[in-house]
Amino acid sequence: MSEAGAAAVFADHQRVLALFTQGIVGRHLHLKPFDEGRPAAAPSRISTDGESIRLPAQVADFPDARHNLGAYRIAILHQVGYLECGTFAFDLRVAGERMALPPAAPAPPASAILRRLRPAPRSAELERFFALWPRPALLRRVFATVEALRIDTVMRRRYPGARRDLDRVLAHALGRRPPAAGLRPLASLLEALVQYSLGRPRALLVAADRTGLADALLATAAPVEADGASVYDSAAAALAICAALAALTRPPARPGAHGAGTDEAPPDEPPGLPEAAPAAAAEVADGEAAPADDALDGAEVDFRGELAPDAVFRRLASGRAGTLEHDGAAESAVPEDGAGNDAPAGAARAPVRAAALPPTPRSFLYDEWDCHAGDYKRAWCRVYEHRLRGEDAGFIDDVRRRHAQVARQVRRRFDAIKPESLARMHGEREGEELELERAIQAAIDRRAGHAPDEHLYVRRQRGRREVAAAFLVDMSASTDFPIRDRAAEAAAAAAAAAAGEADPYVWGRFGAPPDPPPPAAKRRVIDIAKESLALMGDALVALGDAHAIYGFSGSGRDNVEFHIAKDFGDPAGMRTWTALAAIEPRRSTRMGPAIRHALAKLARQPERVRVLIIVSDGYPEDQDYGPDRRDIEYGIADTARALAEAERAGVAAFCITIDPAGHDYLRRMCAEDAYLVIDEVAALPAELAKVYRALTTGNGRGPRRRGRSALRFAHPGTGADAGPASGAAPGAPHESRR
Amino acid sequence: MTSRTPPAADASSRLASEPWYLPVADEIAIFEAAYAARLPVLLKGPTGCGKTRFVEHMAWRLYRDAATPRRDIEIPLITVACHEDLTATDLVGRHLLAGDATVWTDGPLTRAVRTGAIVYLDEIVEARKDTTVVIHSLTDHRRVLPIEKTGELLDAHPDFLLVISYNPGYQSVIKDLKPSTRQRFVSLEFDYPAVAVEARIIAHEAGVDAGLAERLAQIGAKVRNLREHGFEEGVSTRLLIYAAELVRGGVAPRRACEVAITRAVSDDALVQQAIADIVDVILP
Ligand SMILES: Nc1ncnc2c1ncn2[C@@H]1O[C@H](COP(=O)(O)OP(=O)(O)OP(=O)(O)O)[C@@H](O)[C@H]1O
Ligand SMILES: [Mg+2]
Repeated sequence: MSEAGAAAVFADHQRVLALFTQGIVGRHLHLKPFDEGRPAAAPSRISTDGESIRLPAQVADFPDARHNLGAYRIAILHQVGYLECGTFAFDLRVAGERMALPPAAPAPPASAILRRLRPAPRSAELERFFALWPRPALLRRVFATVEALRIDTVMRRRYPGARRDLDRVLAHALGRRPPAAGLRPLASLLEALVQYSLGRPRALLVAADRTGLADALLATAAPVEADGASVYDSAAAALAICAALAALTRPPARPGAHGAGTDEAPPDEPPGLPEAAPAAAAEVADGEAAPADDALDGAEVDFRGELAPDAVFRRLASGRAGTLEHDGAAESAVPEDGAGNDAPAGAARAPVRAAALPPTPRSFLYDEWDCHAGDYKRAWCRVYEHRLRGEDAGFIDDVRRRHAQVARQVRRRFDAIKPESLARMHGEREGEELELERAIQAAIDRRAGHAPDEHLYVRRQRGRREVAAAFLVDMSASTDFPIRDRAAEAAAAAAAAAAGEADPYVWGRFGAPPDPPPPAAKRRVIDIAKESLALMGDALVALGDAHAIYGFSGSGRDNVEFHIAKDFGDPAGMRTWTALAAIEPRRSTRMGPAIRHALAKLARQPERVRVLIIVSDGYPEDQDYGPDRRDIEYGIADTARALAEAERAGVAAFCITIDPAGHDYLRRMCAEDAYLVIDEVAALPAELAKVYRALTTGNGRGPRRRGRSALRFAHPGTGADAGPASGAAPGAPHESRR
Repeated sequence: MTSRTPPAADASSRLASEPWYLPVADEIAIFEAAYAARLPVLLKGPTGCGKTRFVEHMAWRLYRDAATPRRDIEIPLITVACHEDLTATDLVGRHLLAGDATVWTDGPLTRAVRTGAIVYLDEIVEARKDTTVVIHSLTDHRRVLPIEKTGELLDAHPDFLLVISYNPGYQSVIKDLKPSTRQRFVSLEFDYPAVAVEARIIAHEAGVDAGLAERLAQIGAKVRNLREHGFEEGVSTRLLIYAAELVRGGVAPRRACEVAITRAVSDDALVQQAIADIVDVILP
C-alpha cells in the first residue's frame, strides 16, 4: 500500500487523460470511472466498448504520484491498442482462411443463400470464435493473454516513451502473480503464459516448469510479438496452445458437456508437443481429474482489464463506435528505430482524419454542489452533447405568421438598443480625426497634379454589439403539459361566433353545419417556449447578436442531455429552425450541469457582454439529484450554486419560469432581479424580449457589474446565506472545454 | 520630407537555386497547367503547411527552369504579405517626393505586371477591400491593371501570373473572400501532409535523422487530433521543423518539443499537459 497522497485520482486527471486519448486515437472516447452510473451493475474492470473506456476511480499502486498517473496512461494505451490494432475487427471468415478452425458445433447451413438470409449475428465474431472450442472459457482466456501480449508489444514499438511506465506496470502485475510451480498443471501452464506475457523471461519459466510443456507452449505464443503480427496470429497461437493444453484436460466430445469425461485414460498427444506428453499425462492422472472453468479464474491482469467484444459489437451495431476495421498497419506504425523503413504504402496513405468517423456524442464532466456536505462532488455529472435535427420546415413560417404582431413588437424593442462599441474606421471620407499619413500622401498627389485621395479621416463607427446570449430551454417531461392559451381560445371563440352567424338555412340545406374551425393544435408549455425562442432568434439575427439555443434534460447524473438547436458558430437558417422545432419534452430537469455546460460554451465567446437565459417550467429535479427525490433542496442549492458560478464568470444569468408556484423556490435560486415568473404563457415572447433588452444594455456599465451582483442563495442545511465568494472552487468542467 | 507610409511589405526572390519542395499530391502538375493557361491560382491551407515554399518552387520551375527568355527575368517571384492597412495604393504604387518634384514609384503588383513575374499576395483577405478592384481587372480576360493616379491602363506582361493565399481557419466570417473574387481563381487546397511525407520534409529541412523526423511527424499528427481544443490550426510543419532544429542544436528532444510545439500551440494548461503527455509517449 502506498500513502494516500501519491494516489492518482481519476477525477483530477480526467480532462488531461481525455485529451491525451483523443490525441492518440484521433477521435473522442469517453473516459469513465468504474463507479459511474449504476455501481452494482457496472463492470469493475478496465474495458472498452469502442466508444468509452472504463477506468478505475483511482490508482495507488506506486509510491510516486507520477507513476500512478503513468499507469493510467498505460491502461488507456492498452485499451486503445485493442481498438487500433484490429482486435475487435476479427472476422471468422478471414480466420478460416488463415488457420484450421475447429468445426463449429451445430453445422452451419451450407447454402450461401441461406447464409445470406440468416439474420445478422447476435454476437461478436470473437465470441463466436471462442465458442468453437469445447471449453470456450479456456480459449477466451488464452486468446486474451496472447492478444494482450501482442498489444503491449505494439505499444512498446509505437510509443517508446511509454516503455518505462509499461515496464513498471508489468513488474507490478508480475509481483502479484502466484508462483506458477505451485499450481496444478493446467493452471500452472496458464499462469506461465500470463507471466511470460508480463515479461518474465521464458528461461525462468521453463526452469520452474514441472509439466514439461511450458517451453513449447511459450514458443507457440512468441510469434505474436513479431512486428506486423495481427489478431489472426493471436487467434492461431491461442488455438495451438489450447490444443496443446487439451493434452491435460481431455476435451469432452460435445461442447457444453465439458467436465463430464473424467476417465483416467491418458489424453491424446497433441501434435507439436510429443516429448512433453508423458509427464503431463502423469500429472493429469493424479491431479486434474475434474477440470472446471474455475481453473480459469484469477487470471486477470488488472491494468489490461477484460476484453468485451460483445460490448464493442453492440456499439458497432448501433453505429456508434468508431472504425475498428483498420488492422495492424495502423497509421501510426512507426518502425522501432524510425529509420530504414520506406513503407511505400504508408507514404501514399492520406492522413487518417477523425472527420471520416461517425459522430459520437461528446461527454463532459462537471462538479455538483452538495449542500448537505457543503462541498462540491467532483466530476459528478456527465453531460452528453446532442445535436438536434428536425424535419419540420413549416415551423418557422407558422411561428412568424401566427405571431406577426409580437414579432414586430420585439423588433421595435430591439431596434432601440444601441450597439455598444465604437470601431475606428480608417480611410473614411469624413470623420472625427484627420489621418496624418493619408493627408501627406494627398498633399503629394496634389502637388503631382493628380486628384488626391479623399479618404483621409478616421471615423468612429457604431460597431457590432458585443453580446453573446445563450438560451437554455427546459425539456423536461412536464413541459408536455397542455396550457390554456387565451389568445388562441379567443381566436377560436371568435371564429366559432362567426360560424354561428352564418345563415342556418344555407347549411341546413346540406344537413349539417361545416366543421367548426379546427381548434389551434393543443399547445403545450414546450411549444410556447420553442415559439418564443424562434421569435427571439429572428430578432437577434436582425440585431446581430451572437446567440445559441440549447435544450436540456436527462435522467441521472451520468446522463444529462444537452441538446443543441443552434450553437454560437452556426449560421441561422432552416437547419437551426428545424432543429429548434425538434425540441420536445424528454425526461428530468437537472439544471446545475446544464447551466455549467452552457457557461463553458459562453466562456469561449469573445463578446464582452455574455448572458444566459434559462426558460423552465418548474424546479430542478432528477432521480439522484440529492439523497431523496422528494427533497428538492439539493437541486435548488446546486442550481443556485451554478448561477453563482455564472456571476463569478461575468455571465448575467436570468431565469424565466412558467410556473405560478415559481416564486417560492426561485427566490432561493436567483437574485431578486434575476428571475421572472410568467403565469400568462402567451406573454413569454414579449417578456423574453424585455428581459433580453434589459440584460444586454444595463446603463452603459455592462451587465450587472454592480447592483445586480448580490446573488444570494439559501443554504438549505443551515438556512444561512452563502455568498458567491464562499471559498470552494467553482465547478469547473473536467473535460473538453473547447 | 519623405512619406511615412510604410512601403508595402514585399519580399522578392531572385531564386538563384531551386527551393526544395516535396510534392504531396498533384499540385505541381495543376499549377503548371494553370500557368500555361495563365489562370490565377488561389492557395488555401493552414499556416506553415508549405504554401510559400510551393510558390517559390513553382516560380523556379516555371522561370529558371524554362526554355524561354523568361528564365532571365531578374525577379521571378514577388511576394506581398498582406495586412489590414494594406491598400490598393500600396500594391499599385504612389507618388513620392523627391526634392521639389514628385516621382511615381511602382508598387510590387505593378512591377510584376510590367516585368512578367509571379506575384504572390499572401493572406489576401487581410488587405483592405479596395485591393479587390485591382485584382478583378487582372484576373479576367482583360488582364489589365488600371493605375488610377497616373491614368494608365497597364496591360499585363504575357508571363505575369497572380497567386493569392487564403487561410480559412482563423478568418472570421466577415473577412471571407467574396464569391466574385474567389471564383476567379483555380483553388489548390493544402493541408499538413501524411506522416511519412512530413517526416521526409522535417528530415530534409532540419537535417536530422529519419528516426527523429518520423517521431516528430507522428507527434504532429496526434497533436492535430486536438485541433478543436482551443487552437484551430493544429501544429504546423514549420513548428515541427523548429523542434527538429533545436534538437540538432543540442536541445533535449522533450524540451525542444515543449518550447516549439506544446507552448506554441495552446495557452490552455490542460491542453498543454495533454500534448506534453503525447510527446512523452511518442519520443523514445
Ligand atoms: N511540401 C513541402 N516541401 C518542402 N518543404 C515544406 C513542405 N511543406 C512544408 N515545408 C516546410 O515548412 C515550412 C513552412 O512552410 P511555408 O512557409 O511554405 O508555409 P505557409 O503555408 O506559407 O505558411 P503561412 O500560411 O504561415 O505563410 C517551409 O519553410 C518548409 O521548410
Ligand atoms: Mg507563407
